Amino acid sequence: MASLTLDKVRKAFGPVEVLKEINLSIDDGEFLVLVGPSGCGKSTLLNLIAGLETSTDGEIRIGDRVINDVHPKDRNIAMVFQSYALYPNMTVRKNITFGLEIRGVSNAERDKAVADVAKLLQIEPLLDRKPAQLSGGQRQRVAMGRALVRDPDIFLFDEPLSNLDAKLRVDMRTEIKKLHQRLGSTIVYVTHDQIEAMTLASRIAVMKGGILQQFDTPQNIYERPNNMFVAGFIGSPSMNFMDATLRDENGTLSVHIDREGSPISLPLFEAPESYRAYAGKKVVFGIRPEALTHKRSSSDSADSQYVNFDSKVEVIEPTGADTMTVIEIAGKEIVARVRPDRAPTPGESMTFSADMSQISLFDPDSELRI
Amino acid sequence: MARSTQPSFGTGKLMRAALYAVLILFAVYYLLPLFVMLVNSVKTLDEIRGGNMMSLPEVFTIEPWLNAWSRAQIGVEPTGLSPYFINSIMMVVPAVAISTALGAMNGYVLTKWRFPGDKIIFGLMLFACFIPFQIVLIPMARVLGMIGIAGTTSGLVLVHVVYGLGFTTLFFRNYYAAFPDELIKAAKMDGAGFWRTFTRILLPSSGPIIVVTVIWQFTNIWNDFLFGASFADFDSMPMTVALNNLVSSSTGVKEYNVHFAGAVLAALPTLIVYVVSGRYFVRGLMAGAVKG
Repeated sequence: MASLTLDKVRKAFGPVEVLKEINLSIDDGEFLVLVGPSGCGKSTLLNLIAGLETSTDGEIRIGDRVINDVHPKDRNIAMVFQSYALYPNMTVRKNITFGLEIRGVSNAERDKAVADVAKLLQIEPLLDRKPAQLSGGQRQRVAMGRALVRDPDIFLFDEPLSNLDAKLRVDMRTEIKKLHQRLGSTIVYVTHDQIEAMTLASRIAVMKGGILQQFDTPQNIYERPNNMFVAGFIGSPSMNFMDATLRDENGTLSVHIDREGSPISLPLFEAPESYRAYAGKKVVFGIRPEALTHKRSSSDSADSQYVNFDSKVEVIEPTGADTMTVIEIAGKEIVARVRPDRAPTPGESMTFSADMSQISLFDPDSELRI
Repeated sequence: MARSTQPSFGTGKLMRAALYAVLILFAVYYLLPLFVMLVNSVKTLDEIRGGNMMSLPEVFTIEPWLNAWSRAQIGVEPTGLSPYFINSIMMVVPAVAISTALGAMNGYVLTKWRFPGDKIIFGLMLFACFIPFQIVLIPMARVLGMIGIAGTTSGLVLVHVVYGLGFTTLFFRNYYAAFPDELIKAAKMDGAGFWRTFTRILLPSSGPIIVVTVIWQFTNIWNDFLFGASFADFDSMPMTVALNNLVSSSTGVKEYNVHFAGAVLAALPTLIVYVVSGRYFVRGLMAGAVKG
């Protein structure tokens, strides 16, 4: 168990810079998820922590120990790979104890360690099988067993669930979370799946193009995304963006969306001071689908500030719990989340409510949060 | 089962009959030389001279085999082929073992411990597969002379190892290229070093490609004539050269039955290797092809 600090870490392959000054720090027992689209550098970052690649610049510390030049095997780190990477020629038992064997742990201790881990992961009946005789979920467990048995300071997971089918993925996700709660270990977890990131993490690092976009708790990232990329990447369906103008109407700021025929004006009752500077300027108005619903009034929920507008419904996509309703505003497709019993039929016009307490405004040029 | 897989119409049966006819024809075509050799190797010389090559022996004798093995005149000594058989074994076994081991290590390094210029090195090694034997004869003779192992079995081993390295490296490199890198990384995280990763992770999974390489190297080195004739002295001469000396000796009576027996003896080890591990050979080739 240990904390992990990345201090101005850079990585370049020749002239190509894949990681640009990454600063991250997590405490002992935290669950850090690195998330981003493919090629964002998240796996490279994990490999740097693991020691499978060396950083070009900067410092990586576990606890107070700088580990830049420490061999992977001496970092006291264990890793679960995307393909599980189980040694095909060894039984499950051998797979789990291989690392211990190399470290010269005695037979008796190894047997005990395997027994403990097998019990924890419920893989006792599989110990004498070969990896080829296991199902995907079982392989996943064995791979975790191999990491757990070493009792490392930090666990690294490299997209461990991406090879499982949807149902199993959800089950294993819960299991990993349970395991983390039980063991209280420090975990760094790489995924491109934002739902995995949200559900598992105690803190999320969103990356794109080798740059750390935002590093915060899941809820903060969801509610207060730093920029339009983070806003669009986290959350499903993703946040709606509309070009708008911020207007000052008798002291009250309002978001003005230029729509053919009937422009929409959405007043902001509790606008933060930072909005003032953008009065009269163009902004990007971002609102999540769940903040855009069928007609409601503020009395439905004390903290919310509902503003109503009308729009024609293009398409509806029922999901069971909610019906995603696609409307078109100023040439953009906008998704609203409507209760199934209030769902409209395509083609008809309906009144929607926007919860103005849950919106984000972005600078259209820098794409940063205002 | 059988019925369901066959078409129930007459044409299907006809096709099948035709297919078998063709297959049998080809089998006979390929087996005929072996038949002729075996049959004539157990006939007396008179019977061969007077009779039909294809007929079965009237008097069965193993005398030609014994002659070929231990009594026939090879060069000036009436030693039979046995000492040369031993020579060949002494040459083939270390040459196959060393070239396979080196090829495996080359494949391991070229795929899992990449270094700048590795592709060029591999390309150059591949080139070795295309160099005709004749071109290297004179330089090789110089080298063997310089390091003082000209005309010895060790010299032949060296020649065959050097020549085989291109092929064995190619085999292992392609096989290991399909071997997941994550396994190597996992071994690294587990604390296994260069050698331990090789011996504990890669080698145990290399069965099929080892069989392919061993068969390939064994048959090539065993059957080689040119290097044996060029670089061997009388006491290190391999089987193939001895067989040639036996068959093409221009003095005395041509003992065809002994020649046949000698030829079968010379072919026996490669035949055995194929029969024993032939199915692994095909499996290994397939595995490399599909997984690559």
